[in-house]
Amino acid sequence: MQSFNKKNGRYIGRYKNYDAYLNKIVKLSGENEGDINEKLPGEMVFNYGPSAGGLEESVNFKIITPGEKINSVRVDSSFKRRNIKILNNNIYDALLKIERINGYHSASNSICFLLAVENALNIENNESNNKRVIEIELERIRSNLHIVKGLTESAGFSVPEKQLSYLIEEVSRIISEAFKHRYFFGANYINNVRCNFNNLNENILKIKKEFLSIYEDLLASKIFMDRLQENGTVKDINSTGPAARASGYNYDARLDSRSLFYESYKIFTMNSGDVFSRFMVRSDEIFSSIELIENIKVKENINKDYDLNKSGSGNARIESPQGDLFYHLDIKDGKINDIIMVSPSYINIKLFEKAMRGNIFTDFFFVWESFGIWISEKEVNFI
Amino acid sequence: MSQWFLRGIKKGIKTEKNFKDKYKPYYPSKLEGKSDYNCPVNAIKNGEWDENKCIYCGKCDLNPTKDEKIYKINDAMPEMFKKSFYIYPLDSGTCGACNAEFNSIFYPQYDANRFKIFLSNTPRHADALLLMGVYTENMHDVIKNAYDAMPDPKVIIGFGSCALTGGIIGSSINEKFNVEIAGCPPSPYTIISAILKYKGDIK
Ligand code: SF4
Ligand code: SF4
Repeated sequence: MQSFNKKNGRYIGRYKNYDAYLNKIVKLSGENEGDINEKLPGEMVFNYGPSAGGLEESVNFKIITPGEKINSVRVDSSFKRRNIKILNNNIYDALLKIERINGYHSASNSICFLLAVENALNIENNESNNKRVIEIELERIRSNLHIVKGLTESAGFSVPEKQLSYLIEEVSRIISEAFKHRYFFGANYINNVRCNFNNLNENILKIKKEFLSIYEDLLASKIFMDRLQENGTVKDINSTGPAARASGYNYDARLDSRSLFYESYKIFTMNSGDVFSRFMVRSDEIFSSIELIENIKVKENINKDYDLNKSGSGNARIESPQGDLFYHLDIKDGKINDIIMVSPSYINIKLFEKAMRGNIFTDFFFVWESFGIWISEKEVNFI
Repeated sequence: MSQWFLRGIKKGIKTEKNFKDKYKPYYPSKLEGKSDYNCPVNAIKNGEWDENKCIYCGKCDLNPTKDEKIYKINDAMPEMFKKSFYIYPLDSGTCGACNAEFNSIFYPQYDANRFKIFLSNTPRHADALLLMGVYTENMHDVIKNAYDAMPDPKVIIGFGSCALTGGIIGSSINEKFNVEIAGCPPSPYTIISAILKYKGDIK
């Protein structure tokens, strides 16, 4: 396994005892995550989860509070940790598991993994990369709609919540029509994508029109805006994805990743780092993803067999819907010899913990929803 | 709030009477035909296809039919649940897609509430525990506690290939399920169809 001991470039997250930076992977020497802060006199520890109504996945929160205010919170994501046997798997058997690291961001994971394979084995991937961009942008649209829906749900705004749910389902149907599966499972191959974009542009424009009217209604709602502004503020140089862009950092792998480069893409940033800024960045990205899909040109598929029984090391980093996703692979005779996967949820959990300090209980779900954290991708142990 | 009400009305009814057939996914759906492909989860054995094991990867020569009826009903639903059926979903170790698909049955297109299917916020008020994901050590007691907290009679639904057989990821949650809903993840069409069948609302 490649390992270095000097940091290089911005921080993008952690997998087991490796910290990943833009240009380096650093092996950690015995650091641990630390335990929840000691509670002070007058404070109590309130336990929420791992299984409770309102939580989409199993996760536990330990909240230190004197009453209404939250002094600190620690996320325990370990409950649903999955041990996934992937070492010694061939590329396509491993891919079936990679698709299921985070089913909601399956396209991002599969594509990032395949880019790392192609990098390791020196495989040209020109024909498929624009189709892959379409996949990732469709996934981003659904993921951002899901978060905006979560915010309206936290505010008890059931009309826009249902309208956004409707749009999420429509996007799932668009994905299903184009890729034969609502979560892109089985759609990705080495330099190839199983897809059919016949009605894509027409359908995606309907989403744009519908979302625009919901977005304008939400912006016009003073009550909704009040709940988001100055709520869950965090500004941290070690941020990622929309959370970073919402606090003024122009981090976006679409601008600087070696693998999938988006020439015409313009980054949108906000400065206040609160739930409102994250809402604005995500909403803007729904529109910009649609625009990218509208304008992209795809090449014909070529059906070619690739010799995968080779050896090499490679990596790839892409902008998944919630931030930097990174894969480093070591392949020996066509089998996975070692793997490092860094997902954005590691950093986003840290940001959530910081953002919650000093907030009150009624803000909890707004702040949690605003980071788009998936425990599934955080708690993976490859064996 | 009345403004939102009017905006909602303006959009009209979005719930689909018979969910639009054209949107049924190819995967997962009932597979047909013959294949001697070396299935990664051994879902093809002696020419027989096992819908619970299948992860619907599309690698073999079996053909997807878009038929959503990939479920098993192992006993009769307690009569008292037919008027309202409250489900508490529990994630043992999912990838997240099972969670998302289960939630989608409450989206406007499907609106499961109209079929008297509801989401429970606690196992204490639940008629059914819907288990999804692979077995994970740390969730073992959480599942047991949720089951113990439910009032009698209790129904357990196995949801998705991970929970039913371990799928491609790990081991199954070792429970005897009253209802088995296949798919990776099960589609909203399959989920609603399975529950309606269990309720006796469809043949
Ligand atoms: S679709 Fe995939 S999992 Fe299902 S039987 Fe075919 S090869 Fe096996
Ligand atoms: S059954 Fe499939 S979709 Fe469901 S949790 Fe398992 S891998 Fe994910």
